Order: sequence, then structure tokens, then C-alpha cells
Amino acid sequence: MSKELRFLIVDDFSTMRRIVRNLLKESGYSDADEAEDGLIALQKLRNSSFDFVVSDINMPNMNGFQLLGEIKKDDKLKHIPVLMVTAEARKEDIVMAAQQGAAGYIVKPFTKATLEDKVNHILTKMGMK
Amino acid sequence: MAEHDPAPETSAATPDVHQQIGALTRQLHDSLTGLGLTAKVQTWAGELPDAKSRLSYIARLTGEAAEKVLNQVDQAKAEHEFIKTETHRIGKLIVADPVAAVAKGHVMNFIEDVDRASRKVDQHLTDIMMAQDFHDLTGQVIARVVNLAATIEEQLIQLLIQTAPAEAAVKAPAAHEPYTPALDGPVVNGEGNPDVVTDQSQVDDLLASLGF
Repeated sequence: MSKELRFLIVDDFSTMRRIVRNLLKESGYSDADEAEDGLIALQKLRNSSFDFVVSDINMPNMNGFQLLGEIKKDDKLKHIPVLMVTAEARKEDIVMAAQQGAAGYIVKPFTKATLEDKVNHILTKMGMK
Repeated sequence: MAEHDPAPETSAATPDVHQQIGALTRQLHDSLTGLGLTAKVQTWAGELPDAKSRLSYIARLTGEAAEKVLNQVDQAKAEHEFIKTETHRIGKLIVADPVAAVAKGHVMNFIEDVDRASRKVDQHLTDIMMAQDFHDLTGQVIARVVNLAATIEEQLIQLLIQTAPAEAAVKAPAAHEPYTPALDGPVVNGEGNPDVVTDQSQVDDLLASLGF
């Protein structure tokens, strides 16, 4: 059931996209696509179907906050949980993400257990698991 | 080879050199003030220690990542060596007496040992993969330092152009517009800063206090 969920990983660093993708795969979520910034992510979200977004914040063209805002104001996308995975560690950024509707927030560097825990927690909370 | 003593010449030239340096310094100061760059120079001076701490952060992170990877490789290789040795040992037992090898539990023990060692190797490989996260963090910090260096370079070029003699004048290069992250990026030194979190538990506590 949960293994059929489709993830979109958004990060401008290919290394980090690959790490997140591999960790999700190890956790049983092997269906994932990648986007290198918010703009590309938004196009993919509008042209395809995804169940979960894992997004960085500090990216060129469209950052993670802007992407989150676009997702939450789009009736067709706003149900998709967005987990922020970022190096931004200011408290005001965390609060802003929460207020804008982020489902979770992870600061880099993080562990496999942290990502797995947050993803499973969000999926359980939203009745997706 | 002819004997040559430059001392008298040097001492004779010293006051003149000092005067020239003094004049250049004065000229530079006047130019900076005239061009309104004094404030910018002060800003650069303030940013340079920050750039130094960012470079130290990069050195620390890359050093830690390299050490982590080498340690994990050492451990993975030890597990791999164990599997290789055990495989040879069980192979000999099976060739000598296959029934006894199974009956005495050697084969089953071997399977369990290999399974355990394989899991450990897999964990080491995951840890090696996770150690590569330094690329993202240091990349963001490097972008900021490069941006600072580019800004200083640009301003110095402008200064040279505007203070150069007319016959040496060159055309100003096109303005450089680097990608400037609007956000802070990784916390290089978060200790004692109440505005930032330093680990995931603080993020979770903050979100919990907001009802998440």
C-alpha cells in the first residue's frame, strides 16, 4: 500500500536529491521523481500525480517557501504533504514554514532515521499509511 | 663575480619609497572617499571574518566527511573479509563431508553469519552515502564566499578604472550578477545564537510549541 506512494524530491543539489531518493527507497518508497528547483517542481506537480513532496528551501528560480505557497493555494495540489528538508535553521523560517502549511521540517544534516520517522509520521497523520 | 653592496643605495632610497607609499595611500583614501567606497570597504572588512569562519566550516565539514567515509570503509572491508574467510572455511567443510557440515550446523551458522555481516555492510554503505551531504552544505557556503569575492573584485576594478591615468583607461567590464541566495543557508556557528536551531530536536520542540 504505502510503497505505491509517489514522491517528488526538490533540491538544487543533485547529491542531496540522490541521498533522499536512496533513503526513501531503503524505507520502502521506491517511486520518486526529482526536480532541481521550485519552478520545475511546480511544473511536474501540475503535469503528473504525486503523493508527497520533500523540498529544500534555498534554491534558485523558485525557493521552497514560494513552492510551498504555490502548492497550498492550488486546489488540485494543496492536499499533498510537503516536508521541508533544509539547512535553513532560523526559528522564524521554521515558524513561517509551519504557518504556510508545511507538514514537517528537517534541518540538514539529518539522519536516515529522522527522515524515515518524519515521512511515516506525516503519512500516518494524513491517513495515507 | 663582482662585489656589490646595495646597502647605501637602499638606505638612500628608503625615505623616497616611504613618501611614495604615503602618497599612494593618501591617493587611495581620497579616491575611496570620492567614489563613496569607504562605507563599502568597511562592509567588506566586516564580511571578511565571516568569510574566514565560513571557509573554516567548509574545511571542518569536508574533513569530518572524509574521516567518516574512511572509517566506514574500514569497517565494511573487515566485514567483507570475514565473509570471504568464512566462505572458504565452509567450502572446505562441505567438500570434506557435506552431510556432517549440514548436520553439525556449520552451514546454518554460516548463513546466519553472512546475513548478519551483510546487514552491517549495508549499514556502512548507507553511512557512506549520508556522509556525502557535506556537498550540499558546503556548496551553499562556498556560493556565499564566491559572491563576496566577486563583489570585492568588481568594486576594486571600478576603483582602478576610475583612478587610472587617461592613457591607461580601459572599458569597464559588464556588471556581474551572481546568484545571491536570499536565505541564510547553513548555520556556520549557531552556538549561543537564540534565533537559530542547532539540531533536529530543537526543530521538533519549536513545532510542538506551535501545535504541530
